[in-house]
Amino acid sequence: MSRHSRYPGYDVWEEHQHWDDHTKKIVGSRRTPQVSYAFFSQGEALLMQTIVRVLVNDHRLEVLTYVIQHLDDSLASPIGEAQRKVGVLPKKQLYRKGLAGVDAESHARYGVDYVVLKKEEQQAVLRAISEGETKAADAWSEVDSVTFFKRILRDAVDACYSHPLVWSDIGYGGPAYPRGYVRVEKGLTDPWEAKASET
Amino acid sequence: MKHEGGVTHHSVHYAGHRSNDMNQRKYADEADVCIVGAGAAGGVLAYDLAKAGLKVVVIEAGPFWDPQHDFASDELSMRRLGWQETRLVDGQDPLRLGHNNSGRGVGGGTVHFTGVFLRFHESDFMTRTLDGVGEDWPIRYQDLAPYYDRIEREIAVSGPDHFPWGAFHGPYPYPVREPISANAQLFREACAKLGMESVVAPLAILSGPFDGRPPCINRGFCNQGCMPNAKYSGLIHHIPKAIQEGAEVLSDCMVTEILSEGNRVTGVVFSHDGQSYRQRARVVILAGFVVETPRLLLHSATPHFPDGLANSSGWVGKAIMPHSSHDVYGRLPEEVRLYKGTPVLSLSQHFYETDLDRGFARGYTLIAHGSRPVAMAGAIAAEREDGSFLWGQKLRETMLDYNLYARITLVGEVLPHPDNAVTLSGLTDEYGMPVPKVTFSYQENDKKLYKHAIGQMNRLIEAMGGIPEHVVSDTAHLMGGCRMGSDPQTSVVNEYGQSHDIPNLFIAGASTFVTSGGANPTNTVMALAARTADKLIEAMKQRSV
Repeated sequence: MSRHSRYPGYDVWEEHQHWDDHTKKIVGSRRTPQVSYAFFSQGEALLMQTIVRVLVNDHRLEVLTYVIQHLDDSLASPIGEAQRKVGVLPKKQLYRKGLAGVDAESHARYGVDYVVLKKEEQQAVLRAISEGETKAADAWSEVDSVTFFKRILRDAVDACYSHPLVWSDIGYGGPAYPRGYVRVEKGLTDPWEAKASET
Repeated sequence: MKHEGGVTHHSVHYAGHRSNDMNQRKYADEADVCIVGAGAAGGVLAYDLAKAGLKVVVIEAGPFWDPQHDFASDELSMRRLGWQETRLVDGQDPLRLGHNNSGRGVGGGTVHFTGVFLRFHESDFMTRTLDGVGEDWPIRYQDLAPYYDRIEREIAVSGPDHFPWGAFHGPYPYPVREPISANAQLFREACAKLGMESVVAPLAILSGPFDGRPPCINRGFCNQGCMPNAKYSGLIHHIPKAIQEGAEVLSDCMVTEILSEGNRVTGVVFSHDGQSYRQRARVVILAGFVVETPRLLLHSATPHFPDGLANSSGWVGKAIMPHSSHDVYGRLPEEVRLYKGTPVLSLSQHFYETDLDRGFARGYTLIAHGSRPVAMAGAIAAEREDGSFLWGQKLRETMLDYNLYARITLVGEVLPHPDNAVTLSGLTDEYGMPVPKVTFSYQENDKKLYKHAIGQMNRLIEAMGGIPEHVVSDTAHLMGGCRMGSDPQTSVVNEYGQSHDIPNLFIAGASTFVTSGGANPTNTVMALAARTADKLIEAMKQRSV
């Protein structure tokens, strides 16, 4: 596993002039997200952002702001969630009650809100939730903590790995229309793709 | 009109006419044939039947996409190509639906499929006879062979000169794709090391110009909608051709009920922008895939058919099957760059046929499978085979090595079981229809099969010089739920997709599959649709339906 990007000088957004307009618009909007919430309260948004920071281990405000905005948009949207397991609350309720559960768990363990915990404590609370080893029994009576954890992890990761800053970190060439990829075989790269720095 | 991202979508489409005016429908009085669903099966049927001079109306729940303006090179935003409406899932192994296995919009699943275009083998049609598992189909491979030939020619499938497995050995109409991606090369080299044959994948993706469309540019976003139109979809091929031949397509129109009188269907009710409309037809074909087709039948129960229309057998909704589709991600010492090129460019069917020494019946296909960041990070974080989660620093550090990963994916046969089923739940959706419940649990043979496959995928990663690090639990495709058969007591339709109960009701698409095979199903879906079209044209000429 790598501690640092293998592609330190690479910025995939620098290639956006070569992308089709629709893609440019979608990806560009992630770089300058609005900060207005239709689903989250201010308190929930701050809590969610703190949780996401721990889940994806990314501390950049640009990335976190976009992830929270994306989660808020999808929670406010009437579009369905494709599938929901029998017995699991609809997504909106799952988030609302689950977020309350995170704070309740934080209080049960440390006596304070989640957002003011130390990093290691925040990790410990999420670990307990992910393993179903919760202490705040009342807060988790309607919500299975593991189901909640899986949901927020998947949603946070989906959004985080859609941000062009993260694409740059991992050396993802990304959108390639209309130009396509020409040199696709082993060991080959197109001139504009990320090149790993010598380590 | 629907406005999405600045694009105007019309809903009424026929030659020389595109509007959103439901009062200007071409066949408002009555059509010969009404097809519900404009996907892989619906497209083939619409084109073939319109070409034969029949008055055809296709009704599709989703939009009539415009690839240049609606599609994008982006994983997250293009999930909307799947059926996102919430379904309940249940069972020991609840399925992921949506973009994972369904389409919504003209072209259906073909808009976002990987384009892998395989035939079933002879053994797939007779698993009961050969292996004592599953059920036999009412047809044999030879019944379908001419239709496989025809569909592959019609859409210029590219593939190898020699295909080593099954009954068909090539050549394909168009030459094999080249070059292939690093991931596909590594897979083939690893297969060779372990004594397994492999091929460059047969694909519904052009290797040269065809029918005004260009060859593939290896953009890599097959699952997000092809923008150059190099990949086949019903949206850019069969549906526009059907319209040229006189068919009418109604998009953004959700069919909510099948109308019937006694043991005849008379048409359908559909909803558009909150308004209800009727479409009368001499023949109705349901081509709405494995969840919506049974749902519509169960919801259209009548005093004559109290357990659901065309359901005297009780088999409507039963014996649905996904493919087991586990992935192994392995880290290599050199860069692979999984994002580059067509996602699937090589595969092996070395383990396709039953070998009882392996301890299970039937088999599978292994494919070299590209992956983009959202798919990979989401899967290794939250869909791990052992049920654990990967998050925080470990996830981030793993993804910093994204370009070093290779991936292999399973397409594994899942045997039919009556408890794996689509039923109606007590919830209702925005149309007032009951929300479907989709129940699925792997059975013993299925589990042995995918465990064997995971072992082989691990070996292949090691043969690449890599370390198999992440095993992801997933499924792909859906089949069954309205299976075909000769016995009206134990099947819903006959070998042509005609209902045993209602002679002017047909079902097309993957829902009629009896078994799942161990290969991507789209070629078989389209070949079966072409066979149904031939039968129906003949029957309608003789006025026997």
